[in-house]
Amino acid sequence: MNAKPSLSIQRSGARQLSNFGVSGTMPSSFPVLPTPSGERYPILPDSHQVSMERELMQHSPAVISPMSSNSGVVGHLFSSSSGFSTDLHFSSVLQQEDHPRKSHLISQSTNSGTSLILPDAVDSEVPRSTASSHYNKEENNSWCTDTLPDCLDYPRSTSIQNNQLERSNYGGIAIPSEDLTKHNDWQEWADQLITDNGALTTDLNDLLADASIAIPEPKVHHHMSNLSTNFSVQHPNNQLPATPGETCTAVAQSSSANCAQTKQRMRWTPELHEAFVEAVNKLGGSERATPKGVLKLMKAEGLTIYHVKSHLQKYRTARYKPETTEESSEKKLTSIEDLSSLDMKTGIEITEALRMQMEVQKQLHEQLEIQRNLQLRIEEQGRYLQMMFEKQCKSGMDLLKGTSSATENPLKEFTDAVGNAPSKDDSGVPVDNCETGGKSAGENSQDVGEKHKAHETEVAGSCEANVAGSSNLPASKRAKVHS
Amino acid sequence: MKFGKRLKQQIEQSLPDWRDKFLTYKELKKLVRLISSAPKADKEFMYCLNNEIEKFNAFFMEQEEDFIIRHKELQQRIQRVTDTRGPNGTKPSETEYKEEMAKIRKDIVNFHGEMVLLINYSNINYTGLAKILKKYDKRTGGVLRLPFIQKVLEQPFFTTDLISKLVKECETTIDSVFPASQEQGILPAERQAITVPGEGIFRNTVAALLTMQEIRRGSSTYSHFSLPPLNLPEPDIFQSLQLLSPIPIP
Repeated sequence: MNAKPSLSIQRSGARQLSNFGVSGTMPSSFPVLPTPSGERYPILPDSHQVSMERELMQHSPAVISPMSSNSGVVGHLFSSSSGFSTDLHFSSVLQQEDHPRKSHLISQSTNSGTSLILPDAVDSEVPRSTASSHYNKEENNSWCTDTLPDCLDYPRSTSIQNNQLERSNYGGIAIPSEDLTKHNDWQEWADQLITDNGALTTDLNDLLADASIAIPEPKVHHHMSNLSTNFSVQHPNNQLPATPGETCTAVAQSSSANCAQTKQRMRWTPELHEAFVEAVNKLGGSERATPKGVLKLMKAEGLTIYHVKSHLQKYRTARYKPETTEESSEKKLTSIEDLSSLDMKTGIEITEALRMQMEVQKQLHEQLEIQRNLQLRIEEQGRYLQMMFEKQCKSGMDLLKGTSSATENPLKEFTDAVGNAPSKDDSGVPVDNCETGGKSAGENSQDVGEKHKAHETEVAGSCEANVAGSSNLPASKRAKVHS
Repeated sequence: MKFGKRLKQQIEQSLPDWRDKFLTYKELKKLVRLISSAPKADKEFMYCLNNEIEKFNAFFMEQEEDFIIRHKELQQRIQRVTDTRGPNGTKPSETEYKEEMAKIRKDIVNFHGEMVLLINYSNINYTGLAKILKKYDKRTGGVLRLPFIQKVLEQPFFTTDLISKLVKECETTIDSVFPASQEQGILPAERQAITVPGEGIFRNTVAALLTMQEIRRGSSTYSHFSLPPLNLPEPDIFQSLQLLSPIPIP
C-alpha cells in the first residue's frame, strides 16, 4: 500500500530523528513485529503506519530543539552505536547457525543495544527496569505497545527518551574516548543544575552522566556474552540491607555513581524503606520532606530522585488515608459484612468471619509456596538432565558413529537408569541420541504421567534432549529417536 | 484450553485493577499456532513473551513497593492504638478502642489477603508461561523452553520471597491482634453461614484456591513436568464456599 513506501522513506530520515527521541515507532496494542536487525521499524498495518508518520512529523521538530544543545553528544553516541550494532549483528549471525533459538534472543538484543529512542508510553513514574540492552529493547517496545494516545504523550516521552539513550549506553556502546573529556565538563555543569523539578536538566545530566561512562571494549564483549541471557537479572535484593535493588548490568556497575542517574525500576526492600522513613522523619515528616532532601539523607547507592519521588508519593497516600487505601481497594468490592444476608453486626461474628478469611488465605499461601517449590525443582531437574545430556552427547558422538545396532541397548540402559534412580544421582550411562532439536519423546508419554509423585520422581522428559524418559516408552517412539 | 479457561475465570474474579495485568494466554497461543505458517510469527511470539514478562515485573514490583509501605504503616498503627491503651492510665474509651481494633483487624486481614493474591498472580502467570513455552516447543520442535524458563525463574515477579516474608509477619501480627479463639471448632454449616465470600479479596482467594485445584487436576498432556494434584486439607470447605458465591466456578 502507499503507506509502506512512505514509511520507508520516513525511516531513513527517522533513523536520524530517532536519535533525538522521536516517538511513535510502535504504537498501540497491536502486537508489533520486531524486524530483523537490519531494520528497526516494525511492519504495521497501514493505519498505524500513517498515524506513526504523522506522529513522527509532529514530534520531530519539537523534539529536536531541546536536544539541539546535545546534538553533538547524541550524534557521537549514535555513530558509535551503529558501529557496535554491526559488530553485534555479525556475531549474532554467526551464532545463528548453531543455535537457531538463541539467536532470536541475541539478535533482539542486538537491536535493543542500538535502538536508541523509543518513547515511553507508560506512566513515567514507573521507573524502568534493567539496563541490559536486550531488556531495553523489550521495554521500549512494550511501552509502545500501549495505546496509541500514550505515544502521543509527548512531554513525558522526551524525558524518558533521554534516559533510554543513556540506558542504551549501558547496552555496551563503546564511546570513543574523545567524547569523554567533553562529557566530563558537561557533567560538572549539569550537576549544578539538578533540581527537583528540572526534569529536563536532570535528564541532560542523566544523559551526560552516562555518556561519560567509559565502557572499554572488553566490557562490551563481556556484556555481549551476557546478552544471551535474555533478561538481565534484577537482584532479588531481599538480603542486602539498605542497598537498593538496582538493576545495572555488569558493565554499568562499574560506574555506580552514574548508575544513580538512570530511571530504572527500583526494587524496594523493607530495609530500604526503613532508611527512607528515617530520612523523612528527620526532615520533618512526609509533608515537609522533599525528594531531594530524602535522597541526600539516605545516601543509598543507585537510588535516584525519581525513585524517591514516587515512593514518597506512595508513602504520603498510605499515611494520610490509611483507611481509604484499604477501603478503596474494596470500595467497588463489597465487604464481607455487607454481602452476608445474615445480620453480622456483632463483633464476635465479624471476628469469626475474619478468622475464616484468614484461614483460607493462609491455605492459599501455603499451597502457593508448595507449588512454587515444586516448579523450581522441576526446572532444576530439567536443567540437570539437560546438562547431563550435553555431556553425554559429546562423549557419545563416537558411539553413534559406531554400530547402529548397539544403540538400542545403551538407550534402554539409560532410560532404566533414569527411570529408577532418584533425581540427584548421576546415572553415568552413555547416551548417544543427541538430537537437540528433536521432539521430546518423553513429553508425549502421557500414560507415564499417571503414576504421579512428580516431585519425587525424575524429570526425564526434557524436551530439549531427546530423552526417552521412562521404561514405559513405546518402542515406536524410541525408534523415532534414532532417526 | 483448560488452563486458558481457568485463567480467564481467575482474572474475572480478581481485583479490578489487576485484571489487565495477567498473562495474555490466548493471544500467545494464537501466535504459537501461527508459527508454522507465518515466518514472522516466531519473532512476534518472542517479542510478546518478553513484553509480558516486563509487564509482570513492573506490576509486581509496584505492588511490592506498596505492600512494603503499608506493612510498616499497619504496624505503626497497631502500635499507636495499643500504646494508647497502655497501663499509664490515659486510655480512650473502651468502645473506641474496640472499634479501632476491629478496623485494624479487618484491614490487616485484607492486607494479608492482597499479598497472598499477589503471590498467586505471580504463580499463575508463571504457570501460563511454562505452558505456552511447552506448546511452542512442541509446535516448533524447538529448544526454547528450558533456557527461557530458567530466566523467568530469576525474574522479579517470580522471586516472591519478600512478599512471603511479609505475609508471615502479617500472620504473626494478626495472631497478636486477634483475641484468643473461644470456640474450638466451628461447625461447617455455621462457617458457611458466617462467611459468604462476596466480591473482593476473600472471594478472590477462594477462587484462586479452587482454580489451582482445577489446574492441577490433570490433563491430557500430563508429564513429568506436571505438578501433582492439589492436596488441600479441607477441600469440602472450599467447595461449599464456592457454592455460596454468586458467580459459580465450574
